Amino acid sequence: MANIASQRIKREFKEVIRSEEVARCSIRVELLDDNYSELKGEIAGPPDTPYEGGKFQLEIKVPETYPFNPPKVKFLTKVWHPNISSVTGAICLDILKDQWAAAMTLRTVLLSLQALMASPEPDDPQDAVVARQYKEFPEIFVSTAEHWTSTYAGGPRKKEEYSKMIEKLMGIGCDMDQALVALSSCNWDMNKAIEQIFG
Amino acid sequence: MEDKEAVPVPVQSDFNPAAFVAGYNREPIYFDEKFVYLVTDINQDELIMQRRREIEKEIWESTSLISEKEDLGSLEAEYITDEVYQSKVKDLLRKYNYIRRTRPDGNCFYRAFAFAYFERLLSHQREYEDFKEIIMKNKTNLMTSGFSTVTLEDFHETFMEVVEILSKGVSAQEELYRVFNDQSYSDYVVVYLRLITSSQLKLNADFYQNFIEGDRTIVEFCHQEVEPMYKESDHIHIIALSSALDVGIRVRYMDRGQSTEAIAHDFPEGSHVRVHLLYRPGHYDILYPIDAD
Repeated sequence: MANIASQRIKREFKEVIRSEEVARCSIRVELLDDNYSELKGEIAGPPDTPYEGGKFQLEIKVPETYPFNPPKVKFLTKVWHPNISSVTGAICLDILKDQWAAAMTLRTVLLSLQALMASPEPDDPQDAVVARQYKEFPEIFVSTAEHWTSTYAGGPRKKEEYSKMIEKLMGIGCDMDQALVALSSCNWDMNKAIEQIFG
Repeated sequence: MEDKEAVPVPVQSDFNPAAFVAGYNREPIYFDEKFVYLVTDINQDELIMQRRREIEKEIWESTSLISEKEDLGSLEAEYITDEVYQSKVKDLLRKYNYIRRTRPDGNCFYRAFAFAYFERLLSHQREYEDFKEIIMKNKTNLMTSGFSTVTLEDFHETFMEVVEILSKGVSAQEELYRVFNDQSYSDYVVVYLRLITSSQLKLNADFYQNFIEGDRTIVEFCHQEVEPMYKESDHIHIIALSSALDVGIRVRYMDRGQSTEAIAHDFPEGSHVRVHLLYRPGHYDILYPIDAD
């Protein structure tokens, strides 16, 4: 029984490809190497959330001890979400940690990530800044997450006002990512954002 | 992000935290009897997991998945200075003559049970036929318990591959031992037993709900305490698995309790006992009775 991990992934890969979610373009996986140890995933932002209309790329690494240990997954697409680091894309989700079970599959993981996007858990945050905004300024959170979705994931909703503020900061020497991060974490308070960048 | 916290990582009773800490050359950590505390940045779950794995590895490398049978007398030496335990060992020696140790990796109940029962089936071929039938019937339960068909088939196939070995009878003793010490096969067996346990709990949720502390549902309990590897087993797991497979298990408890005997519990209660296990806090090993049937 050589190479349990790659055998398993091969089967799971087929499961995802044949799934109804793929038919609906809701999830996707792609192989990056021949021995099935690295994959690229993609999930669609769930409907009725600030992520709707966006496509989010994921890095999936399959450990040699798979399926007894979980795959390592992180977001490659930048995203504004309490349980996903806005800096590194690291994810805080129980099934990717101590609640992983060998009976789960790539499909389970992708669907669980979609579910996480739809219902954040701000009390168990990966990104404390985003979590605080989610709890204290829910409306700003929604428009910020929408803005990130349209900037990085091809989403449809962008706030004109936010774009102008970003341009202003770019005018004084910031790059776009830096401006967006600063403004987002300062709840779109221009002065605070400037202080954060140049302070 | 400057905040630091100490994350307690539980260790098994026979893990030596002092040796681990001494051999640890990175950030400072400390320990007590039950936990090693890993000092780490808040939110660095990945780092905690990595260190947890290092601790696990340390434990694992000290014991095989399933060890050779050894004389039960070896327990006496372990507790030479401990009166409570000594009287319990003496009691055990009147009833059992051998012990077989298992790796303390949180899967020990399942692995000990499987090996002990499979070993018995080598010389009980009629019971073996019944067992195969139970497994096939049980598969239908698993199909309705919400597991992915892909993985379920995968685990079932490999589990049956191991079960087929038993048809060769006692001559397959060595092969069984080898297979249980092959990490992949051995873990596949553990996972399949975890799935059986989980589906038994879910299908009889009304009954088992009474055993669960706190406000967790049976389904949540299964996700958190049954299905993931390395999660330790308690009474509820043992009752569920022994009922699902209709195999009586007697557990002998060696703990700090005041009794001079190692008290026995049979699961399910009143069943015909086929497997004997020794429980010491956090760990199960296999026992061999003097007058085996």
